[in-house]
Amino acid sequence: MRFFDHQQAARAETRRLLLAFVLAVILLVAAVHGALVLAWLLLAAFISALLPVSLSFPTGFLAVNVGVSLLLVLGGWWVETSQLRAGGLRLAQRVGAREARPSVSQVEQRFCNVLDELCIAGGVARPQPVVLARADAINAFAAGWDEHDAVIAVTQGALDQLTREELQGMVAHELSHLREGDTRLKMQLAGMVYGLELVYNFGDTVRERGGLGTLFGSAIMGAGFAGWLAGRMLKAAVSRQREFLADARAVQWTRSRDGLGGVLRKVMTQRRDGAMQRLGRSGIDHPALQHMLLVEAGADGPWADWFASHPTLAQRVRRIYGRPMGPLPLAPQPDNSAIFAAGPFSELAFDGKAP
Amino acid sequence: MMILTWGLLIVVAVLLVWGVAIYNRLVQLRNRIANAFGQIDVQLKRRHDLVPNLVEVARAYLAHESATLEAVIRARGQAQTAAAAARAQPTSAASIGALALAENALGGSLGRLMAVAENYPDLKADATMKSLSEELTSTENRLGFARQAYNDQVLDFNNEATQFPDLIVARLLGFATAAMLEATRNEAERAAPQVRF
Repeated sequence: MRFFDHQQAARAETRRLLLAFVLAVILLVAAVHGALVLAWLLLAAFISALLPVSLSFPTGFLAVNVGVSLLLVLGGWWVETSQLRAGGLRLAQRVGAREARPSVSQVEQRFCNVLDELCIAGGVARPQPVVLARADAINAFAAGWDEHDAVIAVTQGALDQLTREELQGMVAHELSHLREGDTRLKMQLAGMVYGLELVYNFGDTVRERGGLGTLFGSAIMGAGFAGWLAGRMLKAAVSRQREFLADARAVQWTRSRDGLGGVLRKVMTQRRDGAMQRLGRSGIDHPALQHMLLVEAGADGPWADWFASHPTLAQRVRRIYGRPMGPLPLAPQPDNSAIFAAGPFSELAFDGKAP
Repeated sequence: MMILTWGLLIVVAVLLVWGVAIYNRLVQLRNRIANAFGQIDVQLKRRHDLVPNLVEVARAYLAHESATLEAVIRARGQAQTAAAAARAQPTSAASIGALALAENALGGSLGRLMAVAENYPDLKADATMKSLSEELTSTENRLGFARQAYNDQVLDFNNEATQFPDLIVARLLGFATAAMLEATRNEAERAAPQVRF
């Protein structure tokens, strides 16, 4: 895997998609105005057929239309975002995560150590490690608005089933999300999509008033729905690129494709065996969390690909290895397996002068 | 005449500001290298601090392996002395070279100790030992990553200092390119830390 190339491609793609998002908002505002103009013209034609008067547009028709729809989009964006920025730790606690306890549990000690190691590799501030103790499925997420409230959460299943190297790959992936500001970007996008949804809801409210409201409300609803749909697709597309980027980063930092690759292949096995019985109670299925997870809880349906926030496991594994790879059998890790299997001790040699 | 003077003054001022900006960037990058080097030092200290605990736990099980244990303790003492010397003279190639040799010896003796521990299931099962080995594994990884980070910083600095406009300032003010850390320097060193009985 030529990870630097993949990283550049993913970043360029994100920029294009963000531009498309701005365009979508502009189009939505235009569409709302267009739909209302159409509704008005229909009304005017209807009235002039009955009465000998001709209706002209009310004063400030354009300004009000554009103003109200922008207000809804931006206002919704602001409201939702300010809720989300309450912090990563808060979100983690909401889904039932607790702080990692390195002094109590061997595997959690390993998790905290792996995190420290990768923070050195990536040159990032250390996020708080938390554990989803009731989740069997291998998964993880990173959350946080900025580096002060950033958390990295892993499930108990990941701690139990992954080797040290695989855990490293997984944590590196999540750390990349934090470093690249993906958690923040995703929260912004979620807020924006919420704003687009508000336009649709507003149309619905107007429509329910009945009378003329039905006509104008439906017009707003139609435009709002199209905008919301486009927004969700774009948000998912941005998210997919960020996943590829984080995968490439994980390979760069750990210099190993078997780390993260192993994780994804073990998830494949879990998916195949349906070994996710405890998923439901673990809080990891929280809707606000789906786009943040290492692997999302799979979706079905012909349109699922368009709205999926993650590329499929097979796609990701193929990018990491450069060829398709099959699932990897699960193997519960004895406490010390990785420790004594540790490779040769790293040697230090300085070729030349230190600064 | 007046215009020419003013024009010259402006050109000189612009050049000066531009030169200062480049100088500041180079200094910043060089400081980052120093900081990355400090990270390596932090991890070396961590390694030195772990050794006594490790030996203490291992001693209870490895009564017949005192030679191995003593070798670790000795290597640790030498590494500590070398580290102190290197800290005092961070720019001296000799003291850094000595530190590298001492750390290699320590790494080698630790590797031998872990290989010996393989034969003692009781020791492997000891909870404290498990925890300490995890710490040791992590420290070795941190050292590796800290070296990687150091080399990345050196690359950044060297790229900046050897590319065209900055090159002039770097040459004029005597910024030397920094050297990367290499895993091993020669055949002898590459062979040294391998486990032998």
